[in-house]
Amino acid sequence: MRTWRDVARYHLVMPWAILLIPWAILAVSFIVNLVIFSLAPVGHHEVLTSQGLVQVANAAHNYTGGVASIYILFFAIGTSIVGRSLPFALTLGVSRRSYYAGSAALGVALAVADGLALAALQAIERSTDGWGAQMHFFQVPYVLAGPWYLTWLTSSVALALLFVYGMWFGIVYRRWNLVGAAAFTAAQLAVVLAAVLLVASANAWSSVGHFFTGLTAAGLTGLLAGMAALLLAGGHATIRRATV
Amino acid sequence: MTPPISVTGLTRRYRDHLALDQVSLEVEAGSIVGLLGRNGAGKTTLLRILAGQEFPSAGSVLVHGEPPVENEAVLRRMVFVREDQIYPDVRVRHVLRAASWFYPHWSAELADALLADFDLPPNRAVKKLSRGMRSALGIVIGLAARAEVTMFDEPYAGLDAVARQIFYDRLLADYAEHPRTILLSTHLIDEAAGLLERVVVIDRGRIVLTADADDLRGVATAVSGPVLAVDEFTAGHAVWGRRRLAGQASVVVVGPLDQADQLRASSLHLDLAPLSLQQLVVQAAGQPADTLERTSA
Repeated sequence: MRTWRDVARYHLVMPWAILLIPWAILAVSFIVNLVIFSLAPVGHHEVLTSQGLVQVANAAHNYTGGVASIYILFFAIGTSIVGRSLPFALTLGVSRRSYYAGSAALGVALAVADGLALAALQAIERSTDGWGAQMHFFQVPYVLAGPWYLTWLTSSVALALLFVYGMWFGIVYRRWNLVGAAAFTAAQLAVVLAAVLLVASANAWSSVGHFFTGLTAAGLTGLLAGMAALLLAGGHATIRRATV
Repeated sequence: MTPPISVTGLTRRYRDHLALDQVSLEVEAGSIVGLLGRNGAGKTTLLRILAGQEFPSAGSVLVHGEPPVENEAVLRRMVFVREDQIYPDVRVRHVLRAASWFYPHWSAELADALLADFDLPPNRAVKKLSRGMRSALGIVIGLAARAEVTMFDEPYAGLDAVARQIFYDRLLADYAEHPRTILLSTHLIDEAAGLLERVVVIDRGRIVLTADADDLRGVATAVSGPVLAVDEFTAGHAVWGRRRLAGQASVVVVGPLDQADQLRASSLHLDLAPLSLQQLVVQAAGQPADTLERTSA
């Protein structure tokens, strides 16, 4: 456990690199979107109600998707944590096992903290009528549209998933270089393709469709958590073979 | 007592070549051992396997009596900074701070003193250091860690003569105060010769010579003079490489020469010149292993 803590400290020796960069990029994306929304307000249409004609904002046009940048950054940090920082950690006498555990623990802790921050920002967004510009930056239809605790949970799980996926990718790249990373990607595509063929051959598209339409955000979160656990195990099995 | 390093039948095979071939080696506690050999001889691979960074294909590697791979109890008692060490994207002082967390005997004072000796700017990003400065950083970590097994892989690539002298002086001074086992791979053999207590020569993945550095002084002698006289003198001696030019010949005689040999040489008007460590390694790296085993016995 002590080593885990030291590994986390090792990653945070220059703290802003991991803690702030995702938020800096998110902030840039947020500001750009906010400027655009202020300049070009969301389209409206008029609806005839008992009070006469009422202006209603066009739904589905005020979502930015800008919050995706922080998820992408988590993937990138996951890859660099292995690619750049593993060799020196091994030089410092850390075992691959503790390095992986400590790094993953740090990633999960960051995901939980940043997930909470995303939930808080979403709450602010709701209470300020979309930052005064009817902008839905931290709200994503269906996925991040529930109560704050569900947003916290779903964001944290998704961030952790991408972090762990990035780590696995980084390990494969570290050990087998570009060819390995390409093969790894190809293998994942093959798994997807196999699943598609399986569904198609079983003529099961309608049940798959029902499964997804019936899936709640909480159910989706559970699914993502399961995937994250699988990826975590995959990375663990791979790092044992990593050399530097 | 368990030797700090014990290697038996170590083989490392890569797809198309044999990096290490049946290497066996034992290093005693509290000595400075030079690991010498040509580029690609297998020095770095051996050190990486000892440090648990690479895996053996066959054979056994014990550090402090235990396999080093994934064994933190052993790994924390050794330090190995590679020649081409990859560092995270941080500054020099961050690297040293991180190192201080992991090595139980880390000396911050020594690290600071070495930083000053090598003129290393603590606030500079590691990726902006020059080749020589990166080597110096590796030396600072290797020495300040005060690990029981300290391994340097070609530690002074890109270092100027002054900095190399600082390294030798600091290494010896700290070694005297805090004895440990030091394994040093190098190309600059004669320069480091005064430092080394034992010498291991590795060539094409095989250990071709293991000896005390003192025993090697005078173990081979270049004999030169007229061809006939040289031939007469060397009859019955093991020899390496024979060179002829006009009526003159030069032959390396293996094995110590006794007083009678010396007298005979002078009566034949032959020149005798003991081979330096570097010349010896050059010779050793070109020989089939069995001729050398005879000499080290």
